[in-house]
Amino acid sequence: MSRLQLEDLQLARGGQTVLEHLDGRFMDGAITALVGANGSGKSTLIASIMGMLRPVAGKVECQVPKERCAWLPQQLALDLTFPMSVEELIMTGTWPSHGALKGYCAAHYRRGREIMARLGISSLAHRPLGELSGGQRQRALIGRTLMQEAELLLLDEPFANVDIETVNVLTDVLRDTARQGATIIVVLHDLEQLSRLADDVLILAGGHGRWASPESLLERYAGQPAKAPRLPFIFPDTLDAGTV
Amino acid sequence: MLELFDAWLLAPFDYGFMRRAFVAGLALSLAAPPLGVFLMLRGMSLIGDAMAHAILPGVALGFLLAGFSLPMMSLGGVLSGLLVAVMAGSVSQMTGHREDSAMASFFLISLAGGVMLVSLGGSSVDLTHVLFGSILAVNTTALVLITAITSLIVVTLAVIFRALVVECLDPLFLRGQGVRGGLVHGMFLGLVVLNLTAGFQTLGTLMAVGLMMLPATTARFWSKRLEGLIGIAIGIAMLASSGGLLLSYHLSLPSGPAIILLAGVAYLLSALFGRHHSLTERLRRRAAPLGSAESS
Repeated sequence: MSRLQLEDLQLARGGQTVLEHLDGRFMDGAITALVGANGSGKSTLIASIMGMLRPVAGKVECQVPKERCAWLPQQLALDLTFPMSVEELIMTGTWPSHGALKGYCAAHYRRGREIMARLGISSLAHRPLGELSGGQRQRALIGRTLMQEAELLLLDEPFANVDIETVNVLTDVLRDTARQGATIIVVLHDLEQLSRLADDVLILAGGHGRWASPESLLERYAGQPAKAPRLPFIFPDTLDAGTV
Repeated sequence: MLELFDAWLLAPFDYGFMRRAFVAGLALSLAAPPLGVFLMLRGMSLIGDAMAHAILPGVALGFLLAGFSLPMMSLGGVLSGLLVAVMAGSVSQMTGHREDSAMASFFLISLAGGVMLVSLGGSSVDLTHVLFGSILAVNTTALVLITAITSLIVVTLAVIFRALVVECLDPLFLRGQGVRGGLVHGMFLGLVVLNLTAGFQTLGTLMAVGLMMLPATTARFWSKRLEGLIGIAIGIAMLASSGGLLLSYHLSLPSGPAIILLAGVAYLLSALFGRHHSLTERLRRRAAPLGSAESS
């Protein structure tokens, strides 16, 4: 089953076509890695899936309700000077069920605390967002998507500038979330992370997309020196060597 | 001792005009500071000033049409304030210029227009009244109007509170939830205009901004939490408005400036001695040792 499909999609930015003839379905309950060089259209594709960019041609068919879609862009629009604690941020994830008015009840606070415990940020519950490290902030934001019970997660390089422990915690949490049926799309540059996380891979290059299995990618690059497990390699002439 | 207390704090309120002024000040102190806190947190501290200028032509027009009628002047103020906000918003959307430049242009136009209208239709005494207000001249009609507007502001702010907080923090998330951030922002600016209209009778169009912004910026030195900021700002505004009122009574000072200056004193003292980011706090602890308790 697939609740998210692309049909002959053509996308443009500023009058310039970025991607065309993009087809395929993102598997439910699976993590799809989105791979490609800078400027290959990863963020453009994500913006159009989120409905923030109208396709030039073709369409994105998304059956996940809008309020159950979560997007963590790489450049966050988050105002870190705003006085809000980690717990308060995670509680805003109740928006789909609570909207602007409904009060939070004890059960929701309990759920918030469970989420924080799972992400290992219980001790930071009352810490202002502006005082968090990059990794802690990323965990808190993933916490909000869990609270939101997001069924479609779009994560743009969630592991950039994040410590190894956070990578491990988030990898586990994302795997669990996928197992529960969510569709997850993650922009990745790192072959090792791809091997741990991805069930499916969509490679963007030269304005086109190509689907691949993580195994085939790993097999192909199994002989690469371990010190440089960087993606993407698949079209070396059009892709740079990764920028994580 | 008790006599002094009575003479200084209670006796002035034997007069009806002092009681009305007191209630008007408290009502404004409840509504204005939370708006100021949000303006400050969004980096829009000066928008209040721009808005205050924007309501002037409407007030003047109301004055020209209906004489010194507070409801008409308030209505005119609200309309012209909203008009300027909407025009500034749409010009910045259409041209892609930043909203503050459009806002600056429109408020200057309205200020000049307002002054022109007042001068055409009345004497300079009227202008002084519109610009600087007179809290001691608040009659019952004015008081009802002020309390009605401030109640409306408090209730509306409570309704849009969560949306406003989320919009300040992460507009993208709110958009993802299908809420138009522009709508929340517009309603908030509408509340700012309403609040300034409620305040102009007592403090004047220019000083009404003071009761909104000064308590908010002062609270920043005392709290790092949103509830704390709002609570402290309201407290400061109430102290400043009642204290300023008493000062103006005992020392025969103009009431509006007395209130705002008192809030200004609170700001300066807090900048020196406040709990967070104040001068003394900075000098006291350059760096907390490892393992010491968190200070938030």
